[in-house]
Amino acid sequence: MSVSFPQAVADNFQYISESPIAPAAILQHAHHPAAGAIVLFSGETRNLSHGKEVDHLFYEAHPSMAAKMIGEILEQAKQKWELSIAIAQHRVGKVSVMECAVIVITASAHRSEAYAANRYIIDRIKHEAPIWKCEYFVDGTSEWGGNCNCSTITGDPNKHVYESLNQTSVG
Amino acid sequence: MKIESYAIARDYFGRSFEVEETVPDIASLRELLAIKNPAAASLLKNTRFAVNDEFIDDSFQLNPADHVSIIPPSSGG
Repeated sequence: MSVSFPQAVADNFQYISESPIAPAAILQHAHHPAAGAIVLFSGETRNLSHGKEVDHLFYEAHPSMAAKMIGEILEQAKQKWELSIAIAQHRVGKVSVMECAVIVITASAHRSEAYAANRYIIDRIKHEAPIWKCEYFVDGTSEWGGNCNCSTITGDPNKHVYESLNQTSVG
Repeated sequence: MKIESYAIARDYFGRSFEVEETVPDIASLRELLAIKNPAAASLLKNTRFAVNDEFIDDSFQLNPADHVSIIPPSSGG
């Protein structure tokens, strides 16, 4: 990231990345004196989907909306779990098998908050951020995904399954 | 009115296009797009719309200068 970028552009680079994500390099920025626990989630391209061999994924985003939304999700998580650090970055473009498509790192005093916040952030990014995945298979076919079909269950494109689970779960 | 589409919606409508017709609100736009491309009708039912980078609902009153985005269901991760 260059300091010559205006802040808005720098933020887009922070949350939406056109170049490969290196989880180990980003982890270097997640250490904090008040944090006894750091949780790193890396969502990576796997080689099998719908029973077919995957060649690669292609991600597309509405960059300004996705970046703004990820920023808001991180801010809410930081407040809710009193995190020392919350980082998230999502790839756009071609992501090959075993490469990182999305990373979430949470750092907090104790592990319970870091785990819970990390799960909250990745769930919301996957379901709510305007980011789409096209799966390219080895057999030459391709298909736009498909992770969030919550509206078929909830009947509302703005309501997601994990939200109703959260509401009904006890403890 | 300028419309931009993403992901699978792009396969039906292209990256961006202009709507010349007078469209008072999002519900009318949804109907108009389904008439223009009947194959996209079921996709349009599950699609959200954004105006000037904010999600809006079907009753939103459109202005010809608005920049509308067609946002199909997300599938990041």
